[in-house]
Amino acid sequence: MTRLLKVAGFLALALFILLPLSQAVTLSFVSTVTREDVPLGSFTWLNYANVFRTERLAASLINSTIYVTLNVALCIAVALPAAYAFSRFRFRGAHAVFFALLAFRVTPTVVLSLPVFLVFARVDLLNTPVGVALAHAVFNVPIAIWILESFISAVPRAYDETAFMDGHSTGSFILRRLVPAIAPGIGTAAFFCFMFSWVEVVLARTLTITDGKPITTAIQSLFGFSTDIGLVMAMTTLSLIPGLAMIWLVRNHISRGFTIRV
Amino acid sequence: MAGGNGAQAGRAWLFLLPALAVMAFVGAIPVAINAWHSLFDILALDDKFWVGTEWYRDILTSDRFYASLGRSLGFSALVIAVQFPLGLFIALNLPREGIFRSLGLVLLAVPLVVPWIMIPPIWLSLVDPETGQVGRALTWAGIEFDWKFNAVHTWILLIVMDTWHWVGMVAILACSGLATIPPAFYQAAAIDQASRVQVFRFIELPKLRAVLLMALLLRFMDSFMIYVEAFGINSGGPGLSTAFLSLDLGEDIKAFNYGPAAARSVIYFLMSLLIVYAFWRLMRAEDAEEAEAR
Repeated sequence: MTRLLKVAGFLALALFILLPLSQAVTLSFVSTVTREDVPLGSFTWLNYANVFRTERLAASLINSTIYVTLNVALCIAVALPAAYAFSRFRFRGAHAVFFALLAFRVTPTVVLSLPVFLVFARVDLLNTPVGVALAHAVFNVPIAIWILESFISAVPRAYDETAFMDGHSTGSFILRRLVPAIAPGIGTAAFFCFMFSWVEVVLARTLTITDGKPITTAIQSLFGFSTDIGLVMAMTTLSLIPGLAMIWLVRNHISRGFTIRV
Repeated sequence: MAGGNGAQAGRAWLFLLPALAVMAFVGAIPVAINAWHSLFDILALDDKFWVGTEWYRDILTSDRFYASLGRSLGFSALVIAVQFPLGLFIALNLPREGIFRSLGLVLLAVPLVVPWIMIPPIWLSLVDPETGQVGRALTWAGIEFDWKFNAVHTWILLIVMDTWHWVGMVAILACSGLATIPPAFYQAAAIDQASRVQVFRFIELPKLRAVLLMALLLRFMDSFMIYVEAFGINSGGPGLSTAFLSLDLGEDIKAFNYGPAAARSVIYFLMSLLIVYAFWRLMRAEDAEEAEAR
């Protein structure tokens, strides 16, 4: 009986999560504007063909991929030494830094969008994926530090000391010994950075006025007087694929990512 | 434990330097610029004049600000009241191992990778009375779901959508807390013939508290400052019934009211700081308690 209830519960959860997406995927294969050769409401591949035929849509897929990748690389690179410091060193001010990271993590992006725009205009970082990647670091660096810190803290300190006795410097220890030991943690951190960067809209939109536009802007530009909702949903469906691939890669680690310490 | 000597502290700061440099560039400096601009009437960046705290007085004495604050607090409260029990329930009932655990976790994570801007169109097309699966079901059942002009319906749509979007995060975080409980604890409870409620109250909940606090902070702040999704559903309407704090700020920015927008940003940033500080104190207390128990 309880088993039956559990199965029913699982199915209900699956239905709740998948129903909106199934609607989007279904619509992406339907012709939703009046065309001469394809009747309204019939099955079609046209929406997908149109995505790749429209230069700004195809380019936006590439732009988004570039800035997300750059962001993940940047966040892991700067978070790794910071997480090591939090895990292994006791120092005055550690709590204050941690608090500041927490505060910037939850600061709404709308609050930051305008001044970040002004700063980036000054240093020529507008309209490029590099700028978006850098801007997204404001919420992803803290996340990466927390996750990596919890994984590093799970490695016994004796592991460091053995490596130092073998003649490793701290830098070489982190790169050659620690990184392989916490590979699942790096995967988890990369997943969360990827996710938050991929879904963010406000900063990505504000920082790309003329060029380097992300998927989200491209989709928005599709809404107008007569919106081709099929095309919107084709674009939406495509935007889900990298995320789903990432989830599948880290499925065994995502629930272990957060063991939060302050 | 490593000692807190000076050389070590120096090295620690050296290791923190790259991260701090990035955070200063995209976090601290922008906030400082906001604070500076909030004291001016800005016609253009090189054409501004000093107004002191005028914008702050304007915002803090307007009824609109307190009405939006109330709506945002109400939205956060509802979101938390729905998503925490549901997320916990899901986490507690998810199989402990095997393919269904993996599948369940993957399923829970799926809405998290949907770009935020797509979520409103997806849900609006779902509840469309003519073409949406849920919309047609509601029409068939004789329920007229009018998210455009009925404030209660807009709120329901927002909360269901937000739950769809975020309940997975609560559940995944709760799962990660549960995963840290050694099986021996459950065996001991079984020997003592503890009830399900007792197991939850005395074994699971204590282990979950820290992780749930974190989830609460993230969920509270994200819902309190909800922007993209709420704007996408009904642009703050009908009337002002879903005009949350962030939507007011978005309005200022779109109208090029840079001075007031900067002042509003500073106020919101200070509110975030205050909330984070409260949570941080709670978490530190939690941590100290745990250290004592050890």
